[in-house]
Amino acid sequence: MTLPNLSLADFLPLLPTIIMVVGASILLLSEVFLSTTASRSYQAVLTVATAVAAGAVALTTMFEPPQEVMLGFGVLDPFSSFLTFVVCVGLALATLSSVSFLRKRGAERGEFYALMLFATAGMSLLAMSNELITLFINIEVLSIATYALTSYLRRGTRPSEAGFKYFILGAFSSAVLLYGAALLYGATGTTHLTAMAGPLSTALSSQPGLVYAGIILVGAGFAFKVAAVPFHMWTPDVYEGAPTPVTALMSAGVKAAAFAAMVRVFFMVGKGVDPAMLLTLFSVLAFLTMVAGNLLAIPQRNVKRMLAYSSIAHAGYLLVGVAALFVTGPGEQFRLLGASALTGGTPLDLARAEALRGILYYLLAYTFSAVGAFAIVSVLERREDEEKGTAWDLERFSGLAQRKPGWAFAMAAFMLSLGGIPPTIGFMSKLLIFQAAVDAGLIGLTIVGVLSSAAGVYYYLRVVVYMFMRPVPEGAQALEKSWSTELALVLSTAAVVILGIIPGPIMGWLEQASSIFGQ
Amino acid sequence: MNIELILFGAFALLTLLSAGTVIFARSPINSAMALVSTFFFLAGIYVLLWAHTVAVMQVLVYAGAIMVLFLFVIMLLNLGESPTRGKPTVARIAGGAATVGLFAALAIILLKIPAAPATLSTDAQASFGTIATLGQVIFTQWLLPFEAVSLLLLVAMVGAVVVAKSRI
Repeated sequence: MTLPNLSLADFLPLLPTIIMVVGASILLLSEVFLSTTASRSYQAVLTVATAVAAGAVALTTMFEPPQEVMLGFGVLDPFSSFLTFVVCVGLALATLSSVSFLRKRGAERGEFYALMLFATAGMSLLAMSNELITLFINIEVLSIATYALTSYLRRGTRPSEAGFKYFILGAFSSAVLLYGAALLYGATGTTHLTAMAGPLSTALSSQPGLVYAGIILVGAGFAFKVAAVPFHMWTPDVYEGAPTPVTALMSAGVKAAAFAAMVRVFFMVGKGVDPAMLLTLFSVLAFLTMVAGNLLAIPQRNVKRMLAYSSIAHAGYLLVGVAALFVTGPGEQFRLLGASALTGGTPLDLARAEALRGILYYLLAYTFSAVGAFAIVSVLERREDEEKGTAWDLERFSGLAQRKPGWAFAMAAFMLSLGGIPPTIGFMSKLLIFQAAVDAGLIGLTIVGVLSSAAGVYYYLRVVVYMFMRPVPEGAQALEKSWSTELALVLSTAAVVILGIIPGPIMGWLEQASSIFGQ
Repeated sequence: MNIELILFGAFALLTLLSAGTVIFARSPINSAMALVSTFFFLAGIYVLLWAHTVAVMQVLVYAGAIMVLFLFVIMLLNLGESPTRGKPTVARIAGGAATVGLFAALAIILLKIPAAPATLSTDAQASFGTIATLGQVIFTQWLLPFEAVSLLLLVAMVGAVVVAKSRI
């Protein structure tokens, strides 16, 4: 038996992950050796520095051609590099907003930041995974870290309930995913996604039941992780019960990483089976998720819960982009808009590249908007009100424009961005996704998407109305300022507005870099 | 009749006997101890299949770690002898019927498998499933998943301590 040799250069593509794991280990040790110091601000600073370093390293690898990593168990392509960058942005912003949140509750600990870093390391590895077992292990790394973070603060019943629900349903969905992966392995004899396409088409003719069952189970497992309807039941309770900065990381990072893995798996599976089946699967999921997510969010007066339902709706728009990856057919039906700056390749390749670009840009846009919105929620909530259930009530936002004009402006920007109104990054990202869908010929799905996002504007604007048009309620508590939260708000507001007006830089990257391994 | 067949017969019979004891013993402690011996005899069958690593893991993980947890739970819950067997309810009858049905289905499938086993070269047998081979493969080809698993274990430990320690 010949065994491969690994050199140090083989580990270089994993550098962002290694940086994060080392940072997390330092944080764990700091709790042992440095915990006598009263202030633990350095821990947050270290976490942000680690996230920035990892994100910067990921950016430098973004323009390299796709390559296999560690003997094909992972891949390094622009897709995974950009995703690592996105989750690092999400981590940095969520960390900044968690400093005052934790300090108010006397809960600043190195473990909290270490677990955030571990979760993000898992996300980055998940985006790179190119083999089913590696993929499953990395899903577990990020899931277990987020389970623990969900029940990090255990005062009252909500966090325990949220942690327990998340753990049970997460474990269940992991098992479903694993079962599907085992069936795919049984059908093809390989767990490497790259090698799967050929055996998959052979297996499809000899034992179609096995292949279909495998695909549907893997799809259901991922649908749980990205909170697509009808697998979304856990989302509102878990998002509401978790500490708000953790909810921010969950809605941005976990979702982005799960989407990345889902796109990679089904992109490869789609080479072996009839893509029309995957198109149907994702179209149905996207339709249900967009419509149900928006309709369920409308009656919510609890802003944190509303944001949870809104994150379901946003998963729906992203699924439209995923569905656009699986279109086939004659070239005439593509490029109806004909406005894409992407060049080269057949119309089909272009439609796919457009869909990938849309998904990546949307994930970045959602990270800025959602993490920012959750940061505002976290500065307005008070611990004492959590048991009464009024900590996140819409009334909290009444008259915020008079008390804190800057916060109100930031929240308005996030809400407009989530609603997809120009000139925000949310508008640009929706435009890209729907453009890709139209170019791919998914007209019906695009119409549903536009209509449902118009319905969504109602509950986003309601928050803005409360902030700017309602009087300050009697006996409102003074709002504390904290430099870190302010910094997170300034950064994400700037990104939301500036990238909405001048999408150039990121679009430029994505035009060069919206390619996935094996495309 | 060669020695392997004799050993297999002995292990299989003892596995079945201890598995039966697990189900029929009244005291939970006796059930748990019978489960330990089931795992041990099962490990013997794995060795006969040239799956040395699986056999060692079976003894270490199942017969060792997991059984200790079982016993802890039995002790903590202070479980005594179970009461006399209950009356047949609808659920019990349905459960029994489902079990019989499952075994019938398994028997039908097993009878369809051709009697002649696939011929394996002795070379593959000698190295396949041994700890040496597994170690070589894990630390070269499967290094990325292996390191990911070590990350997973670290995260699980930290997470368990964070969740279990006194309220923050």
